[in-house]
Amino acid sequence: MRTPILALSLAFASLVTPLAVQPLAAQVVEESLQRDPGPLDFIQGEGYEQWILQSLAGDALVGLSPGGRLVPRLASSWKTQKDGTTTFTLRADARFPDGSQVSAEDVVWTVQELLRNPSASPTKRAILEGAQAGVAQGQPWIRSPKPAGRLLLELARVPIAQKDHPDRGSGPFAFRKEDGAWSFTRRDHFLKPRVDGIRFRLLPDAAGVMAALQKGWLTLGAPSTRRQAEVPASHRLVTQPMHAQLVVWSHLGVGPLQWLERWRKDAFPPQLLGLNAKPSRGLWPETLGLELQSIEAATAPPKGPATYTLLYPAGDESVEKLLLALRERARKNGFELQLTPLEQGLLAARLMKGDFQLACSVVVFEPHPWAVLEYLEPRGPMNVTGWRHPRLADMIRRLQQPGDLAWHDLQQLWAANPAALPLLDFQSVIWVDKRLQVEPSPLGLYLHTPGAAGWRWSR
Amino acid sequence: MRRGLPGWLVWVLGLALALGLPGATWKGAAPPAFPWQSLLPAAGAVAALAAAAPLLAWLGGPDLARRRPLALLEAPPDLLWAALILALWPAAWGPPGFQGWLLAFLAAALPGEVRWLAQALPPERPFPEAWGKAAVRRARRLVLFRLWRRWLAARLPVWLTATLVLERVLGLPGLGTDWLTRVAVRDRLGLAGWVLVLAGLWALSHARTEDAA
Repeated sequence: MRTPILALSLAFASLVTPLAVQPLAAQVVEESLQRDPGPLDFIQGEGYEQWILQSLAGDALVGLSPGGRLVPRLASSWKTQKDGTTTFTLRADARFPDGSQVSAEDVVWTVQELLRNPSASPTKRAILEGAQAGVAQGQPWIRSPKPAGRLLLELARVPIAQKDHPDRGSGPFAFRKEDGAWSFTRRDHFLKPRVDGIRFRLLPDAAGVMAALQKGWLTLGAPSTRRQAEVPASHRLVTQPMHAQLVVWSHLGVGPLQWLERWRKDAFPPQLLGLNAKPSRGLWPETLGLELQSIEAATAPPKGPATYTLLYPAGDESVEKLLLALRERARKNGFELQLTPLEQGLLAARLMKGDFQLACSVVVFEPHPWAVLEYLEPRGPMNVTGWRHPRLADMIRRLQQPGDLAWHDLQQLWAANPAALPLLDFQSVIWVDKRLQVEPSPLGLYLHTPGAAGWRWSR
Repeated sequence: MRRGLPGWLVWVLGLALALGLPGATWKGAAPPAFPWQSLLPAAGAVAALAAAAPLLAWLGGPDLARRRPLALLEAPPDLLWAALILALWPAAWGPPGFQGWLLAFLAAALPGEVRWLAQALPPERPFPEAWGKAAVRRARRLVLFRLWRRWLAARLPVWLTATLVLERVLGLPGLGTDWLTRVAVRDRLGLAGWVLVLAGLWALSHARTEDAA
């Protein structure tokens, strides 16, 4: 019996040994993706991982700097007329992988295809809702019912595809799908990328990412939040704020939110929060440049004892622990929070139906202040309680630029009777190879301009 | 056909569950492209298991089912084998590819399957042991030959889908990742396709089992 088992073991060993992988190419950045982004598609692609692929392989008309300001990208300049039409001047040196120049026709085709195709990205369709596009004197123009300030910030999320080729962009890296990997190779591009390439592997498991980081198989990655591991000698710790919050919606009115606003201040032990999160302070994300605002309801918070059922997404151990801490804090005031985990899809369905008392979820906001309108607008994806106000439409019309006084008025309106409250602001914690220079941003490492094109290896 | 009725009912129920899967996605998410490139490695892994398990059961006989070392190997979950492979894999070799995945797959699946087959073998004392080793080997071979198709039919759907944990830890997206992603994005038609294919494989093996009977 022993001999065959030994023979089998030797057979397995022989399978492994001769196929040992060659050392990684020094100039290629090795990265991981948590979810399968699906095929690269500038029209139908949706989701955070897909945004990363598109930001590497494509260029939007405008970009956002690491600080969130509007910067040129495919368009070297733009001009907005009084009727809301914005005309863009395209760069002459922007080219698709087949060598053809990016033209106004490509811009118009991308916009029209996003509006025409019912399977197109819901986020991009929402950005372009009611928009028209055309060509004037060889340059593209876009007209939208939205204020030009908002539209331009949102257009940074709409990379331009080559006409009739939804999988082809003009970005700083050429894309190639390999078995189990997504590879990008540097191109001759106006952003002048300095790293030779980036290669993503699908690593959904946090422990797998951790092991790969510690073994040096990943140039950068997010370590597991469950383990307080030392940063390997080859890497350094980089933190960056995110436009992400843990938000609680209330179908019981403002009362429970008034209590949650108190509890969030002292419910979460610092050792549980770590570097990844901190208690939220206002009603809307601070990272979007909005001022801090407390709930200003006309009524006093309800008196305990009372029991509330709080639905939350199952599977995130760190969020679960923080909610347990919140439950303990609520008990001190005589309230019982019944925590009910739900699978993401089931939770989303309950939210959409409005079938909940309290429900929480991690929300990643678009990188501009208009993102909060998703809470308020009648068809906003985050308006799950049917929140409405007769003055809302008028106020939204007054929001022309970030920082306008109208933002203050709008937040006052929301503060009187909010339907949701953030509990935690998240921060991204990543380990980066010490030799790689990157620029952290609330947009992450990829989604700003120049994004990965600005990375470089230090000698 | 009548003997397979309970099995068919299970597959119909699976199909109904796939088509009626409750829940929604926050924003519409596109279903993943099917990982065609994973079919060959998966077939190779299943073939290796389908050959190694009966071979070991044939060598070990029914006594193997009571061996404590086999029980110890059978106990750890897939996650442990994957983590062990990952931990022991030399850093200089780069990430474990298909070879590492195959190793973890066989380490996780083989002990359980060998026990399953060994337990199904009939007792050998006093006969055919009294007739000599050749008779014992022949008896085992005949039993395993009859058992093999039925065993394959029962276990094939499990092997094709239960590699999910290994794929997640080792970073090799394959068939397990595919069906889980379809669950996450509520791709009900894709899941129904999965159920139909697995039911087809089951039916194929089942029909052959009935032919042999």
